Amino acid sequence: MITDSLTTQNNSPGDTSPLSLRTIISHNTLKSGVQEQACYVLLDISPNRDLPTSRLPLNLCLVLDKSTSMQGLRLQQVKEATHQIIDYLQPNDTFSLVVFSDRAEVLLPGQKNIDKPLAKSVVSTTQPSGGTEMLQGLLAGLKEIQGNRSDDSVNHMILLTDGQTYGDEDDCLAQAEWAGRSQVSISTMGIGADWNEDLLDAMANASGGVSTYIDFPRKIVDAFKATITELSTIVAREIILTVTPSEGLTLQEAFQITPHIRRLDISGSKAILGPLGNTGRKTIVMEFRIKTIPESGVKRLARFTVEGDVPTQAKQQSWAWTEVKATISSDAEVPPSIPPVIITTLGKLAIFKMQEKAMEDLEKGNIIAATSRLETMATRLLNLGETELARAALLEAGRLSRTGNLSAEGKKKIRYGTRSLSILPKEIQHD
Amino acid sequence: MIKCPFCQTPHVDGTLFCSECGTYLLEDDQRGTDPLGTNEIGWVGDAAEDPNAAAALAPGSGPATINLTIGDKKRTIEIPLNKAVHMGRLDPASDVFPEIDLSDDDGLGKGVSRRHARILKREGTVVVEDLGSINGTFINGKRLAPYLPETLADGDHLQLGRLLLEVKLR
Repeated sequence: MITDSLTTQNNSPGDTSPLSLRTIISHNTLKSGVQEQACYVLLDISPNRDLPTSRLPLNLCLVLDKSTSMQGLRLQQVKEATHQIIDYLQPNDTFSLVVFSDRAEVLLPGQKNIDKPLAKSVVSTTQPSGGTEMLQGLLAGLKEIQGNRSDDSVNHMILLTDGQTYGDEDDCLAQAEWAGRSQVSISTMGIGADWNEDLLDAMANASGGVSTYIDFPRKIVDAFKATITELSTIVAREIILTVTPSEGLTLQEAFQITPHIRRLDISGSKAILGPLGNTGRKTIVMEFRIKTIPESGVKRLARFTVEGDVPTQAKQQSWAWTEVKATISSDAEVPPSIPPVIITTLGKLAIFKMQEKAMEDLEKGNIIAATSRLETMATRLLNLGETELARAALLEAGRLSRTGNLSAEGKKKIRYGTRSLSILPKEIQHD
Repeated sequence: MIKCPFCQTPHVDGTLFCSECGTYLLEDDQRGTDPLGTNEIGWVGDAAEDPNAAAALAPGSGPATINLTIGDKKRTIEIPLNKAVHMGRLDPASDVFPEIDLSDDDGLGKGVSRRHARILKREGTVVVEDLGSINGTFINGKRLAPYLPETLADGDHLQLGRLLLEVKLR
């Protein structure tokens, strides 16, 4: 994504750092004075090319909803997807399988080198029944993962549901937070329209995992496949970013842009970015505010330190750091020349943030504000060539003004659509 | 402080996008393509001579590259025709990245839209398609219907808004 000549190379401790950092700043020159001003920094984190690509052993647990609503195509597709995961496993991977409805059942306890035909037949015998109590499944799954972890294993849970869980939301979130602290990431997946996206999102975020919206059952196989492919390329299990702004600067907000857009909790100046794959990258965009700044030539604005847990690197914490600088001058360039990659990125982020605000308006009961925000959003999406998402936003704006509510499906479509804006292809590249 | 031109929300200096309505705040790129007066829209090139129709009917895979001489500055570019070539004005805020950016050829002043037209090869023939531009696309003085590709031949004069481009096919 970042190929500009404006990039600065990383400063790592020696040549051995497994992480490579690059930054792009929006304003190369800033105006000195007392007026508050904004400035943006794009930080790109990728694994060093020289890093060994040997695959870390997986410690994977599938926690699957088998409630009555999963009957038919949904459960059938889940079984098919699980079969494909089983085929993908290597002898030193640990695999366990939990199904849940009102209670949880461990169908395959965690073990290495599983008997694949036997495991598949166990999966096939699953019958739908009962309601959805997610906490039961979550607890049983975490227990399997905890009992089978090793120093170099990638510990992960895939949690799939199609319904609301009632009364145990807070406990589920607390467990996900605990999982995150114990280096177990959770991919949460919701099928259809009736699940709680706030909860699944928060659980994935808290544990360094990803939440996925599956609108049609036939997409389950792809979602599972994407997750296992991602897991098998992990080189750093946990990436932690520390931002140290120079005096006079404050970090206003930070977002992860790739692999998908999400707001980062940067309280305490540290953000947990989750695992990093050897073909993947993490792009972060940050907005800084500068209050008073005297004319001082080239000034360091902020320093970024990235720590990664890279098991292949002699079990050491590996880290890298980089800085951004700008020239502080009384005659800064007007208008400034902003790198196109910054404008494109922030343009997409602006749409994501409007979606956040529309949902906030709605929560406060301000339907008129939410409706007009969705309409403006649709216009911006059309400008980007995102016609399908624009249509969804317009449809929901109409529904909102008529009924005072969004459809459960439309709400998910907009939420998960806007966060994927950073990876959707550009219209102009079609043909 | 700066103000969003669309919703009037105030922002601190240096802010790039309005947090309320998502508008790009750097004035320079705010201007859209203004419609030209109707008396200005006509053909500005030389009177159409005999367009070389034979080139379009040439056998084989057709021309491999297109060579364009653009505007008063006679800037010349050559682009391979292995995929569609978009012409317009670069606008990162709207995610418009045309292969041929006409901003520096006074594209804005001459009424070129951000997504103006595209050139592509269809069955060995080079065609140009207007992408619903405000001020239109012309071949040798004839205005194209939007989204209806027309054959482009060697030596043709192509006009986007009031910007003239001379076409050579190789």
